Amino acid sequence: MIPSRLSALAALVALAVVPWVLARHQLSLLTDLLIAGLFAMSLDLIMGYTGMVSFGHAAYFGLGAYASALVLLHFAQPVPVALLAGALLAGAVAVPVGWFSTRATGIYFAMLTLAFAQFLYTVAYKWRDLTGGSDGIAGVPKTPLFWGGPSLASSRAFYFLVAACVVLSLFVCRAVVRSPFGRALQAIRENERRFTSLGRDPRPFKLVVFVIAAVFAGLAGALFAPFRGFASPEVMFWVFSGQGLMMVIMGGIGTLVGPVLGAMLFILIQEVLSSYTEHWMIFTGVVFVLIVIFLPGGLVGTARRLGARG
Amino acid sequence: MANLLEQLLNALALAGLLFLVSAGLSLVFGILRVVNFAHGVFYMLGAYLGFTTVALSGWFWPALVVVPPVVGVLGALLESSTLRFIYRRPPIYQLLLTFGLALILEESIRVLYGPTAKGVEPPPLLQGAIDLGGVLYPRYRLFLVVLGCTVGVAVWLFLSRTRAGLVIRAVAQNSEMADCLGADVARVRTLVFGAACALAGLGGVAAAPMTTAYLGMGINVIVDAFVVVVIGGLGSIGGSMAGSLIVGAAQTWGAFYLPETAMVIMYAVMGAILVFRPWGLFGEEE
Repeated sequence: MIPSRLSALAALVALAVVPWVLARHQLSLLTDLLIAGLFAMSLDLIMGYTGMVSFGHAAYFGLGAYASALVLLHFAQPVPVALLAGALLAGAVAVPVGWFSTRATGIYFAMLTLAFAQFLYTVAYKWRDLTGGSDGIAGVPKTPLFWGGPSLASSRAFYFLVAACVVLSLFVCRAVVRSPFGRALQAIRENERRFTSLGRDPRPFKLVVFVIAAVFAGLAGALFAPFRGFASPEVMFWVFSGQGLMMVIMGGIGTLVGPVLGAMLFILIQEVLSSYTEHWMIFTGVVFVLIVIFLPGGLVGTARRLGARG
Repeated sequence: MANLLEQLLNALALAGLLFLVSAGLSLVFGILRVVNFAHGVFYMLGAYLGFTTVALSGWFWPALVVVPPVVGVLGALLESSTLRFIYRRPPIYQLLLTFGLALILEESIRVLYGPTAKGVEPPPLLQGAIDLGGVLYPRYRLFLVVLGCTVGVAVWLFLSRTRAGLVIRAVAQNSEMADCLGADVARVRTLVFGAACALAGLGGVAAAPMTTAYLGMGINVIVDAFVVVVIGGLGSIGGSMAGSLIVGAAQTWGAFYLPETAMVIMYAVMGAILVFRPWGLFGEEE
């Protein structure tokens, strides 16, 4: 196998070079892939490293998207302010939700997070004055990086913003999982009872990582709104939460990079299928079922297994 | 006073429907240790098949009898062709597998029936309202109350009084030990999964005259059913009953007094219960 530092460097170079290689629509597809990758990576923090399966992660993506859209539309602030607002709102909402949800474990946790997410979805759907209801918020502008600073209106400029955010987030998340705090999370994943019997309370750890994951999901959503120019309730829907879980599994749970690749593959499969048939969801479902049964380790897990064997 | 009676019956009718769905969800979790995300879609399938049966036969009653077994057989087939192979994996894989199944079924229904909602006429016997000591109440909702109670009692009797129920409870408690004692665990799992799907299908047929058959009814009901089993405790039929009553009441009175925030009431109740009983009222700590 290629040493991981080398492949990381190659990936960075590739990210820096592609804007000059790809056509415009391809570049914007890649931006989409990276945003989804950031979302999946944030989910991997709680799912892969702490063993908490959240079935409502789309809610924080959606909160980020709405906060960013509102800030850009009504206050005309530079994009980074909107990103900050999205990440903060998602994190703030995750505090009470996490406080309740982390009281439960395992499957109860999954159901609670889903219930809260559907609740937030309903709020976004019903609060027409603020969120535009089912129409969502359209016409979100791509404001500059800072006032008088470089414009982000071109697809290349926005791509670089997204790529920078994703790479930075990846490094931050990596630092988190390698810190003593991250080790504690993995200890909770491996054996929560033993962790408790060592005299530590797992709940504060779970709450903190839940909020961190929500912040990064919010960041992804906050990038999504100006990139696509809209925010709508669909991005908070349960289907998107489930797709997030699937991206993580497809890429390789507990690897951070894996989910980013999984998200990219997932969206590419969707792109291809949806160009052939209107009912691509059926085939997505079939792909899900096949991957869950036959490729439980995902891309990275399978590659590592093959690497270890060869 | 009259109003109170009407609200009470509304709550009971809703609870009856919720029970039909959440009982199966809870049963499947108790025996298979799987949270079946596709459970709501089987409910939706029941509603749509109910529509088809009524359209073909012109009667409502046959739908109530024919549709649940059909949904049940489909569920059993899906269990034995997919879920069976991954019971040993962590729960997330089973959840995702059923999520995939839900996508396939939901989209297939969209292909077959199109995007518009399908209305189902209640049978003549249950149309109109009945006079309950000065309160005019829709007969059909009263029927839902009766149906929910009947099925609840039947499931409870089956599990606690029959030999098959005994085996099921044994598998739920300790599947390896039950296996050693000669129970065919794989068959029990398939049959329980099928039976749970049939219950959901029955719920769908029963719901169709009230809510119509529409896309998205599956996810709506599964989220409510999740709240029910979180409140009542997974794997407990009594818990499903209690949870259905609580959620039915919270939604009914919530919709009546605070129409805009009915959902909030349900979640507030759930939150309050979880603070004191994180594993639900009747659930056991894992």
